[in-house]
Amino acid sequence: MSSGGGLALAGQSGNRRWWLFVAAVVIAALPLVFQDSYWRTNLIVCAINIMLAIGLDFILGYAGQLNLGHSAFYGIGAYASTLLIMKLGVPFWMAFVCAVVLSGAAGMALSIFAVRLRGHYLAIASLGFAVIVHQVLLNWISLTQGPLGIYAIKPPPDIALPGLPVISFGNTANMFYLVAAFAFLFYLLLDQLVRSPIGETLTAIREDEVSAASFGINCTAWKVFAFGVGSAIAGAAGAFYASFVGTLVPDAFIITESFTILAMVIVGGMGTLIGPVWGAILLTVLPELLRGFGDLRLVLYGAALTLVVLFLPGGLVQAVQILRARFGLLRTAGDAGMRR
Amino acid sequence: MTAPDRVAAAAQARPATAAAFFCSEGLHKRFGGVQAVRDISLNIPHGSVFAIIGPNGAGKSTLLNLMSGLYQPDAGRMVFDGVDLVGVPAHKRVRLGLARTFQKIRLFKQLSVLGNVIAAFHVHHDIPAWQYVVHGAAFARDHARCRAEAINLLRFVGLEARASVLAASLAYGEQRMLELARALATSPRLLMLDEPAAGLNAAEVERLLERIRLLRERGMTIIVVEHNMDLVMKISDRVLVMDYGQHLFAGTPAEVQANPSVIAAYLGAMT
Amino acid sequence: MLTIVLQQGINGIVFGSLYVLVALGLTLIYGVLVQINFAHADIVTIGAFAAYFFTFLFGGNYLVSIGIALMVGAALGWLVNATIFAPLRERGSELLPLIATIGVSILLQNAMLLWFGPIPYAFDSPYSNEVIRLGGGTFITWQNLIIIGVSAVTIALLYAFMKFTMMGKALRAVAQDRETAGLMGINPNQLIMLTFVIASALAGMGGAMLGPILVLTPFAGTSVIVKAFAIVIIGGFGNVEGTIIAGLAVGLVESFATQLVNPGLTDLIVFTLLLLMLAFRPTGLIAEKREENV
Repeated sequence: MSSGGGLALAGQSGNRRWWLFVAAVVIAALPLVFQDSYWRTNLIVCAINIMLAIGLDFILGYAGQLNLGHSAFYGIGAYASTLLIMKLGVPFWMAFVCAVVLSGAAGMALSIFAVRLRGHYLAIASLGFAVIVHQVLLNWISLTQGPLGIYAIKPPPDIALPGLPVISFGNTANMFYLVAAFAFLFYLLLDQLVRSPIGETLTAIREDEVSAASFGINCTAWKVFAFGVGSAIAGAAGAFYASFVGTLVPDAFIITESFTILAMVIVGGMGTLIGPVWGAILLTVLPELLRGFGDLRLVLYGAALTLVVLFLPGGLVQAVQILRARFGLLRTAGDAGMRR
Repeated sequence: MTAPDRVAAAAQARPATAAAFFCSEGLHKRFGGVQAVRDISLNIPHGSVFAIIGPNGAGKSTLLNLMSGLYQPDAGRMVFDGVDLVGVPAHKRVRLGLARTFQKIRLFKQLSVLGNVIAAFHVHHDIPAWQYVVHGAAFARDHARCRAEAINLLRFVGLEARASVLAASLAYGEQRMLELARALATSPRLLMLDEPAAGLNAAEVERLLERIRLLRERGMTIIVVEHNMDLVMKISDRVLVMDYGQHLFAGTPAEVQANPSVIAAYLGAMT
Repeated sequence: MLTIVLQQGINGIVFGSLYVLVALGLTLIYGVLVQINFAHADIVTIGAFAAYFFTFLFGGNYLVSIGIALMVGAALGWLVNATIFAPLRERGSELLPLIATIGVSILLQNAMLLWFGPIPYAFDSPYSNEVIRLGGGTFITWQNLIIIGVSAVTIALLYAFMKFTMMGKALRAVAQDRETAGLMGINPNQLIMLTFVIASALAGMGGAMLGPILVLTPFAGTSVIVKAFAIVIIGGFGNVEGTIIAGLAVGLVESFATQLVNPGLTDLIVFTLLLLMLAFRPTGLIAEKREENV
């Protein structure tokens, strides 16, 4: 196991194909199991959160960049696509691509800007960036309508293929399939990247930049790359969020949102890709089960994040590994480290 | 092809174009109030072993950092095989053929021993961009090739049996050898070793010496910063003695050993 | 016109002093531990609430409540260090403690939200409304005077402590090189704890004094902390003098900005300054270059 992403919850290669197949089947089945719009909404939000979490994990867990400003890219994606569609009449999918590119570019810009900043300085710079983006969204009223928000945002346009019934995305099941399909594809993309030499390169940068440079790795370029990819995916999540929820207010992208995405990544297991998927699912679904308690949701996030960092820093992935070892299912003791 | 053979092949593919394979002129580096390196000029012929010694704080590691690109000099020139190095960042120098190890062990603790070496093959991957996403035939070939070469390198440093072990659990001497293997993975023509014998026992130093000899036989040029005089005397062709960041004396090991100002600077620390 | 300038100048110093108190805590912690305590903001808020409840529930004297808030802050500082930073120090991770404090911050803020609700509390100190007229049409409330006075005295005491006492010097030693300090008989863990306690006490105090002049909600601390970060970076992490200067500067800039520009934009201005600072002088205004040990 000298390279590769989180295998604890998804197994090795042939195993992996099996798990991907199972995931696809589960995704297909979910809207059939949950027919009410309340739960279907949660599923869609879950898929969006998965996109946000894996994008952040690529930046934080793999490239080791402490990005506390992920909400900014989410917001840029949401507002960019919406404004392009509603103010300039750009067709949805073109606006979508533009939003993804714009968010990715913003991510790269932040990374280039912060290139000399390490650890804490980068954290604060990214936080500052997120605050600035939020403030701009809030105050540039002529563009974004500020706190009043943008209303009546339409879902993606219907797809009419010859011979098949029209697929309307006003239907929550179809919307879920669309968003989940993208989440699945983004996961696959990142997983492939991470199991290639690019994954090793990012790991090297995360572990020790000086060492990495001594192997010919251009740390700056790769950090920018990681930021670009992660933030582009966040932009896609934003575009889907806007077209699903139908209304857009700047306060959906305050810095607290960055922290909740961070919590999903850490609780799931930073640097494993599959961990954040589980983290996103857990931290989206669990609070819904405790619906009646409103702000208790965030208290839970805070508690989960703190406890995980203190006692189980590898998150859910590490928990599973421990359980497996207990029950003797892990045969090799060699690479028992939480990451690889 | 074994790793040392590959090294030899790389060395032969680009024969030294100048008599001085690596030379520097008037290198200066200052940190805040301290002049760490002052006016250092040196000349290293191809295929030789060049040692840099001096008391603690003499600026040896700083000099090495200037040569490997971790720092940029305030003044002076550096030329490696005809290529001007000043302004070239560290990662680009690796592609030119420079590699180094570090005084402080900088292994990737979370990776296995094999993983550490494979990570160092960064400059040698031969995969079209799209295959990083869709892992095709070229990807598989590259993967297999890197693994095989990594194992060869581990065999060269004697760590083959520990390939799948977590790097963090290696003994200190083994960690130093892994550092060497990683540096060799970049197929360097000039290898810089920063205190490679620090903390090694006598047997481990012998093994290190053997490796350096073998590498030299295959045509590699080696620069060693060291405190272990025994090692320096046995292996170097030329020695530079530094003190307070300046050039104190340069010559053959025997000359250095006999020189009074060198002895004074060390105050009898030489054995 | 002059009146406005002077008045805003006074306001700037008042707010600036409070920012300095809060920022000093952050910078002290960073100086000695190279860590950021994200929950620092919430210690400010809790200090404010503690002062509020002492004054209004127990009918205590406002000035005494500042002292109470100081002690509450100190206790929280002790708790955070003991439960988070000390255990994680062994792990040697640079970023995990920061993430843990993010978790604590989210937890505290939302717990306070559940307990105290989002509706602002009217924290009127008896001194808020008594005004002293200064020359030129400007005025200053007793509250503001208290703030400036208490802050100035505290900062001066702290500065003297750091510079002239054995313990202060020991603290600076630990900040420079923990291992060597340990070898010289200084117990770094105790000193780190002391730093935390002092830093959090300052935060608590700051909260008690902020309560009457800001809107008291569970998010009161957050509005200050973001500026505190900016100040710490501008002044230089771990640099006490720099933080004092930067804190007063930010207070003044903010005051004048509210006068000249749309008040909603002050955060934007401060943060853009922050980012510019990070771009060009990440180590702060008064910085030294440190050689990385390779």
